[in-house]
Amino acid sequence: MSQTPLLSIQGLAAAVDEKTILHGIDLTIPAGETHVLMGPNGAGKSTLGHVIMGDPAYTQTAGTIAFDGEDMTELSPDKRSRAGVFLSFQAPVEIPGVPLSSFLRATIADRPGLEMRGKEFRRRMKELCAELDMPPAYLNRELGVGFSGGEKKKVEMLQLLLLQPKLAILDETDSGLDVDALGVVSRGMELYRKSCDGTLLIITHNTRILEHLDVDRVHVMVNGRVVHEGDASLIDWIDEHGFERFEQEAAGDSSGAELSPADLSAVIER
Amino acid sequence: MDALKIRHANAMPAPTWGWLRMNDTQIEIPMSLAPGGSMEVDAEDRLFDHAMSFEGAVAELQARLDAARATANEGSAGDDRACVRAALAENAARNVAADGAAEMPGTAETAESGSANAPAADLELPALSRYQKRAALEEAALDVATAFETGIGADARAYLNFLARETMVLAAAKDTQERATVRVEAEAGEAAAVSIDVVAAPGSTFDLVIALDATAAMGAEDNATAALAGTTLRVFAGSHARVNVTVYALGTPTAMLLDDEGYVLDEGARVNVRHVVLGGELTVTGLAADVRGDTARLDIDTRYLASGSEQRDFNYVVRQRGRKTVSNMNANGVLAGTSKKVLRGTIDLVHGCKGSEGSEQETVLLASEGVDNKTVPTILCDEDDVAGNHGATIGHVRPEQLFYLESRGVSAEAAEALFIRAKLEDAALSAPDERIRASVLRLGEALIPGFTDDIDAPKEDAA
Repeated sequence: MSQTPLLSIQGLAAAVDEKTILHGIDLTIPAGETHVLMGPNGAGKSTLGHVIMGDPAYTQTAGTIAFDGEDMTELSPDKRSRAGVFLSFQAPVEIPGVPLSSFLRATIADRPGLEMRGKEFRRRMKELCAELDMPPAYLNRELGVGFSGGEKKKVEMLQLLLLQPKLAILDETDSGLDVDALGVVSRGMELYRKSCDGTLLIITHNTRILEHLDVDRVHVMVNGRVVHEGDASLIDWIDEHGFERFEQEAAGDSSGAELSPADLSAVIER
Repeated sequence: MDALKIRHANAMPAPTWGWLRMNDTQIEIPMSLAPGGSMEVDAEDRLFDHAMSFEGAVAELQARLDAARATANEGSAGDDRACVRAALAENAARNVAADGAAEMPGTAETAESGSANAPAADLELPALSRYQKRAALEEAALDVATAFETGIGADARAYLNFLARETMVLAAAKDTQERATVRVEAEAGEAAAVSIDVVAAPGSTFDLVIALDATAAMGAEDNATAALAGTTLRVFAGSHARVNVTVYALGTPTAMLLDDEGYVLDEGARVNVRHVVLGGELTVTGLAADVRGDTARLDIDTRYLASGSEQRDFNYVVRQRGRKTVSNMNANGVLAGTSKKVLRGTIDLVHGCKGSEGSEQETVLLASEGVDNKTVPTILCDEDDVAGNHGATIGHVRPEQLFYLESRGVSAEAAEALFIRAKLEDAALSAPDERIRASVLRLGEALIPGFTDDIDAPKEDAA
């Protein structure tokens, strides 16, 4: 583990329309690790991803978000992106009239080390399209317009590989995908890890997408709070038991004793 | 500055309140511009060996329409709708008054003839607006040549014909497939135009590309119209013919571009029009179509960009007269800087066009706060069993779109540049040939330094 974590969130609280959604989140991700954020629907997982990215729809009411040792609370989303944070959207937006290739060029403009012009850019695009089973003709299509769910996620992976961010937050990138598209997303994550030793925060319900990944840490969120953390074995435990136990604990249900490592021992031993 | 003024250009057929200042436009052409420029045609010689002129094709259609009307009217009184009777009566009264023969109200009927005769005391006769009267008279006359119109209007057509000196007729023979490219280029201080008639015989396919190019005037002094390039086009699409027209209007921020078009569609004809308007201090694009034949179809796809203080003025008038005809107008544009744009789109579902459908949609992205956009969709309808639809999406970048762009490192300022770049890149990628593409790149380079380097690959490179 490196001395300074890549992402360090301390006491983070965030609200939308004066309603607090995130309560005192603490989360640390060292560089090069793969973390998974799990939790039931409405737990605030996607909100956390958006708040890290600086989505103006949410107001950060407390705490700090430090990235690479720098507090980025005051940074706009484009500056966070240029600092090395990437958020893959659960539902990527459509922007009619903007060809994908034009958009991609804009994303790499003025990024030291990534600036490419003319032929170099097109060659790189061809390579990435081949790796993601994407016809290069997609590049001439309007961003997101008429794309299927799977195609949109491929375009997200394409950007991940193009931008090579220090931290990639993948917000349910696997949701609603068929087996083939799921394979492409998995390959995209693998390529990202290999190509730049990237750091991942994967927000998901689906443990299947994690099968081929070496997960370092799992965080469980319930009702806007991180209620549990553990190693990769926690994934199998959740796969078997779901989130009910965590939800009960968060609700202060006396019928269930506080979740201890002993509760997970069976899974851990396996 | 002395200027030739063309008033009431690009006029809506059924005007709305004058104070909205969008019924029409006024074109001011500096007298300093000298007729000149260059015109180039790339087409097979056989296209010029025309067996049929535009007028001849219209006359032939007219003969068929007259014969069909005579058959339909056999044993009947013809079109005796109250609005037609009213229009005819009013017209007759005016004619009589003009002759000095009508001294008293009620004598107008003496000038009437045939079934359209209407007694002045006929209380069923409705009061007609000027537009309704004109429409009723036109329907009663069933005269294709008289009803023919072009989008910008007769005065602009006369001016462009003057600049062009002569009209070029390109004709495709029956069941053949032809193509032609026409370029009009104007350099600084020049006004150039071309007048084209296209006659596509039954069953033929005709692809026409027109490039209005005033990008060579780059670097001319500001605040003066540096160059003018224009076209006036008449198209007759014969029975089941297919005509595809693409017009690229490319000019520097000091250029004026005029594109005046008129179409007649015979039975089952299919016409696709693509307008790409990217530059020019003032561009005026007008298209009027007489969708006369049954089951004919017209599709119009318009892409435009205006930046700086440029102005775009569009007028589309589609009169659907045949049964089961279809028309679609789709426009997509980006307005940046302090640019202005008016787009008038009129679908006229004329009496007798049963089973027809017309649709118009426009998407305008307002990339900055200072732009002035007017979108004026109009649907006129004098028939039942028809469908007319219109819709417009006008707006700034939505917050979720902006956040998406920002999350990928594209700031709000860079987003505006992106929308401009995207429009240019789209036009370059879909340019019909390398010369047009080169002009798009030249224009792009002037707006965005480095633009050419980014997309200098041939089209197949991205395919």
